[in-house]
Amino acid sequence: MRNYLIRRSLELIPVLFAIAFVSFWLVSKMGDPFAVLVLNPHVRPEDIQRLRHIWHWDDPLVVRFWYWLKDFVWPRQGWGLSTLAPGQTALQLISRRIPVTIAFSSTSLIAAIILSIPLGVYSALRQYSVADYILTFFAFFGMSMPTFWFGIMLIYLFAVKLHWFPAAGYHRAFFIIKGVPVMFDKAPRWMQFLDEAWHLTLPITVLTVFQVGGWLRYMRSSMLEVKSMDYVRTARAKGLPERTVIYKHAFRNAVIPIITLIGLSFPGLIGGAMITETVFAIDGIGRLTYNAVMSQDVFVAMALIMIFSILVVIGNFLADIFYAVADPRIRYS
Amino acid sequence: MEKEVLLEVKDLRTYFYTEDGVVRAVDGVSFTIHKGEVLGLVGESGCGKSVTSLSIMRLVDAPGKIVGGQIIFKGEDLLKKSEEEMRKIRGSEIAMIFQEPMTALNPVYTIGDQIMEAILTHQDVNEEEAKKQTIKLLDLVGIPDPKKRFNEYPHEMSGGMRQRAMIAMAISCNPDLLISDEATTALDVTIQAQILELMKDLQRKIGMAILFITHDLALVAEMTDSVAVTYTGKIVEYSDVRSIFKNPHHPYTYGLLESIPSLLSEKTKEPLPAIEGMVPSPYRMPKGCHFNPRCPFATDICRKEMPELKEVEPNHLVRCFHPVNVKEEVS
Ligand SMILES: Nc1ncnc2c1ncn2[C@@H]1O[C@H](COP(=O)(O)OP(=O)(O)OP(=O)(O)O)[C@@H](O)[C@H]1O
Ligand code: SF4
Ligand SMILES: [Mg+2]
Repeated sequence: MRNYLIRRSLELIPVLFAIAFVSFWLVSKMGDPFAVLVLNPHVRPEDIQRLRHIWHWDDPLVVRFWYWLKDFVWPRQGWGLSTLAPGQTALQLISRRIPVTIAFSSTSLIAAIILSIPLGVYSALRQYSVADYILTFFAFFGMSMPTFWFGIMLIYLFAVKLHWFPAAGYHRAFFIIKGVPVMFDKAPRWMQFLDEAWHLTLPITVLTVFQVGGWLRYMRSSMLEVKSMDYVRTARAKGLPERTVIYKHAFRNAVIPIITLIGLSFPGLIGGAMITETVFAIDGIGRLTYNAVMSQDVFVAMALIMIFSILVVIGNFLADIFYAVADPRIRYS
Repeated sequence: MEKEVLLEVKDLRTYFYTEDGVVRAVDGVSFTIHKGEVLGLVGESGCGKSVTSLSIMRLVDAPGKIVGGQIIFKGEDLLKKSEEEMRKIRGSEIAMIFQEPMTALNPVYTIGDQIMEAILTHQDVNEEEAKKQTIKLLDLVGIPDPKKRFNEYPHEMSGGMRQRAMIAMAISCNPDLLISDEATTALDVTIQAQILELMKDLQRKIGMAILFITHDLALVAEMTDSVAVTYTGKIVEYSDVRSIFKNPHHPYTYGLLESIPSLLSEKTKEPLPAIEGMVPSPYRMPKGCHFNPRCPFATDICRKEMPELKEVEPNHLVRCFHPVNVKEEVS
């Protein structure tokens, strides 16, 4: 097991390197980030030339890639143009924006796992029952609904009509405590937490519903398939109680393919977060990405792509580890 | 002296209610197994052998249903038992080994765990004792280095070793009846011989009865005391093993024996008629005797009526209007 972990971790390095290069090449096709300056009457053409030189924009792609990589790992100050404040590095900006995204995507990821696996098993065990049909209906509903549309519908119903949840943002600017306004950052930790949870309920719901449908259906069919396997029959022939047959023998085999599926869903989760953040006006990295791409901010966009790649690669890595833990056949191959 | 009856299957009917129609997989099967006796159940693929054995275990899955008959085991009808009572019998009094040792063991648990599970379910012992028993069983079925093998997963073992492990699991609670559903079919010939040897050996040691299912009549000759030949869910010939090999009466049995010429050819001195064609589709059974489209002796009555299972010699039953008589033909 330990060797497996070490081997798998080492394999990540060339993968990340390749991703970095390919995405750097793609982003460099986005256009010249200095082109906007041409329109600015206060900037002289010599200054643009100088900036280009400082940022190695006149060097070949491979050289630029090297400098970019260096800057990414050891950020130097003030390298952005539009999205970044003066003196701010892309990583600093991202690290300010990333916690909220991680908070609501991981919450919805966990919620989706906790909901879809038991519901999928339930659906399979009661195949063709009323409950199964209802779950199937909701699963297809969740899968086929566009995230942005569902988000808008939730806002309309729960924020605009019912006023149960806020329509935008992820925390309020200040609290009124005993008649005195207190800035959000100065409020007690638990108040901050509750307020954030309240704000994030709708976005989390949108992302969760989006994932649950597919996983539920997948778990259901995996369970149905495993239920008719020979070893399940062997378990019954041994005289084991039905519960042991299902939850010990069938379940563990049925859940193995779901682990891979969940690992593969990480990019989708980030894409979903991007749309959700835009709909709910949450200042996370999803929205940051959208803005960076829209304003041709190559440096921030590139840094974000790297962060996403790392997240996806880590997601797959974790899935592989869980997979190896669940399936003894993996460890030796 | 009459031996004690262990299992008596009477007029068992198991049907599958599929979208395309009713499949009479087992249609009025009756046989008797005495204590410590080996009964062979023989027939081509699709003749209802597996469904018969699963019916005895009451493990037929939907859309299959046992629609009639009795399965009297130790004097009590299994079909009248509750699921909970049945569960106590499975694995302890009646155990089963399946055809595919590759798929019959759970890939994510160790061999030891899976065998121990049966012991822990049916016997009042702690884990340590169960483990000790399991290692002893692995040794008994001829698995070398049983302590190490205990912790191995199925994929780490060869087919033969896995089938030995299956046998260990099956005999772990000293069953009175072992159902072996083509347990050696998937193995190559030398391993097959070893496994059969092991089963015979254990059968003598433990004194259990075996329902030995196969489509290979040659194995029956070595393994069993009596034989029931099935065709399309019905028994077509049933007698003790000597009588069936000496004097097969049903044209189907006769055809099956074709595959082992050495046993017969010297008597008949002429080529045996091979069985042509295939088992009919369960949805389109021929009228009359189900074997008539393939039978070289078929006459008009065979195409109209289904023959009864009748005694042609003492304790030798045949379902045929025109039973073959090898003795007469030879003389
Ligand atoms: N789940 C099922 N649904 C419909 N029909 C079935 C089902 N299971 C078995 N049958 C039918 O029952 C009949 C007998 O099947 P069974 O598996 O008992 O044959 P078998 O004699 O064991 O054959 P084999 O040598 O291939 O194991 C077949 O015609 C098959 O079509
Ligand atoms: S009854 Fe007729 S068709 Fe059927 S096996 Fe006998 S001779 Fe052949
Ligand atoms: Mg079979």
